[in-house]
Amino acid sequence: MNGILNRETLVKWAPLIVLFILILFFTVLEPRFFSVRNLARIAISSAPALMVAIGVTFIIIMGSIDLSMEGTVSVSAVVFAFAFLALGGTILSWAWLALPLAVLVGAAIGFLNGLVHVKLKVPSFMASLAMGFVGTGFALLLTGGDRIRVEDEVFRGLLTERWLGFPVMVYVALAFLLIGWFIQSRTALGRNFYAVGGGEELAHASGLNVNRLRIMGFMLAGVFYAVGALLAVGRIGIAETATGNNFMFMSITSVVVGGTALWGGVGGVWNTLVGVLIVNVIGNGMVVIGLPGYVQDGVLGLLVIIAVVLSTDRKSVSFVK
Amino acid sequence: MTLERIKPHLPWITLLALVLIVGAADSNFLRPQNLISMTADIMPLFIMALGMTFAIYIGGIDLSAQSVANMTTVIATVTLPTLGIGAALVCIAAGLIFGAISGYITTKLLVPSFVSTLAVGGVAYSSAQYLSGQRALYMDAGLRDSSFGWMVGKTAGIPHEILVGLVLLLAMLFLQSRTTFGRALKAVGAGELAAVASGLNVTRIKVIAFALSGMLAAIAGLLFSVKLSGGSPTLANGFLLPAIVAVLVGGTPLTGGVGGVVNTLIGTLIVAVIRSSMLYFEIDATMQQMVFGIILIVAIAATIDRSKLRVVK
Repeated sequence: MNGILNRETLVKWAPLIVLFILILFFTVLEPRFFSVRNLARIAISSAPALMVAIGVTFIIIMGSIDLSMEGTVSVSAVVFAFAFLALGGTILSWAWLALPLAVLVGAAIGFLNGLVHVKLKVPSFMASLAMGFVGTGFALLLTGGDRIRVEDEVFRGLLTERWLGFPVMVYVALAFLLIGWFIQSRTALGRNFYAVGGGEELAHASGLNVNRLRIMGFMLAGVFYAVGALLAVGRIGIAETATGNNFMFMSITSVVVGGTALWGGVGGVWNTLVGVLIVNVIGNGMVVIGLPGYVQDGVLGLLVIIAVVLSTDRKSVSFVK
Repeated sequence: MTLERIKPHLPWITLLALVLIVGAADSNFLRPQNLISMTADIMPLFIMALGMTFAIYIGGIDLSAQSVANMTTVIATVTLPTLGIGAALVCIAAGLIFGAISGYITTKLLVPSFVSTLAVGGVAYSSAQYLSGQRALYMDAGLRDSSFGWMVGKTAGIPHEILVGLVLLLAMLFLQSRTTFGRALKAVGAGELAAVASGLNVTRIKVIAFALSGMLAAIAGLLFSVKLSGGSPTLANGFLLPAIVAVLVGGTPLTGGVGGVVNTLIGTLIVAVIRSSMLYFEIDATMQQMVFGIILIVAIAATIDRSKLRVVK
């Protein structure tokens, strides 16, 4: 009993401890790491990733997985950019409508995703992977491989306008983190995610419409991916098919490293915040102390495996596919 | 049920129908020369799909195949000047090791294969970036021809890529249908718990399945790099989706246990025909990925064995 308690305590606090150790480690090696400038840099690269990771957190809490984020982000970004330019090209005109439109597109893709998963009874990792491929393909079809520049100064204010040293997009991301936290802890939807993740058959037996819940989960995830797409476009001022690249690996890594178990029922958006920061601190820190950036993917790969192994209760899982 | 009896034959019927449809639209398509060069062009993808078949056959997936192939294009290009034909051995060994690591992490550390292979793929991608110095590399033409020229030459009008693919197919077919490993693989694919209960060393079988997947992905990368005479950490990007599609439309379902390597040959040819048909029907190349994504969804839904999934997560 004592052993289990220890493991649980360790698993609960390990991510935060790892984050502090990493920050300490990089600061000792290179004090510039802890400057406001550099912290802002970390926050900027974390903001879009955090949105996408929060989206997939809800799905993982349900015990499912969503691998469609790259396609969803690309499509939302591209549709946003086209609509934004077509409607006037500045937030101060009707072009602001492109913002909610992008979010709707994200929700629609999530809805399709959920439908394929639930109605065709296809495991979510494969349904969503395939939908992700369709999404990337659709974005490619829309752009024909071109990049679309979004140069409106008001919209780019997400990056250029700074409060207390941090750009607006960081505060936007924090606001959506709070929304995610509200959904997770204060709504029936959030509680039901945990119920399904904790034991689907039980949740079903207690009268929950699990299929409907799953579809809503994927829609909610799609909304957060779209917000991530908007921040990603705000960050570099370009929407293209490649806007979604690398979000899959980054977000799954972040969620798992943050301590949300792949088996569902455990973790939440705060874990994901810690996970995203760990991933981005490692990425930034390695560059700051002079290591080549590409080591990052390898290190993250190892980290994911350690995190999943640590969070797996080996007594309750007999085999995995 | 008649549908159940037709189902195993659907892949080759689909292939035949597609060939006839495209052939009817443009008879140039049916010229033997065209069919042969189409088959030769798809061989790197076929070899990757051949490996993927083993991972899917036991109910897993190998998302690292593309990164491993990318990595071996770099390994092949970097080691060619010093090792000559020995570069092939290094590639094969690297593929085996990366695949076996995925298998070990999946079976021993209980990390689901889509995460373990994604993570191992990240490591392979990093390695490729490191080895290549983040550049596209080119093979010296003379060195390439003296060591690997036999891979891409032609004999009596048949490109050697096809022979390489055929030899690998026959080897894997032998492994699948004539060895105890093949029968054990079938047992694991049909029902893992029953296989454990009957005393099979399931861990070993699954590790070997992933190792084979890694090895064949590596060979696919090697062949591709010889074909293009170079290597880069992103050379084989775009292989993953059609490789999975090839396995599934061939009739090996995501739940494993049925199908096999011959199915994957048929599946790969279906992919090849669809690809060239888009050319003949003048469908924009930018549509291709979307089309394959949709085909993937249809293929999964049509082949998956839902009785094996108690809860669809």
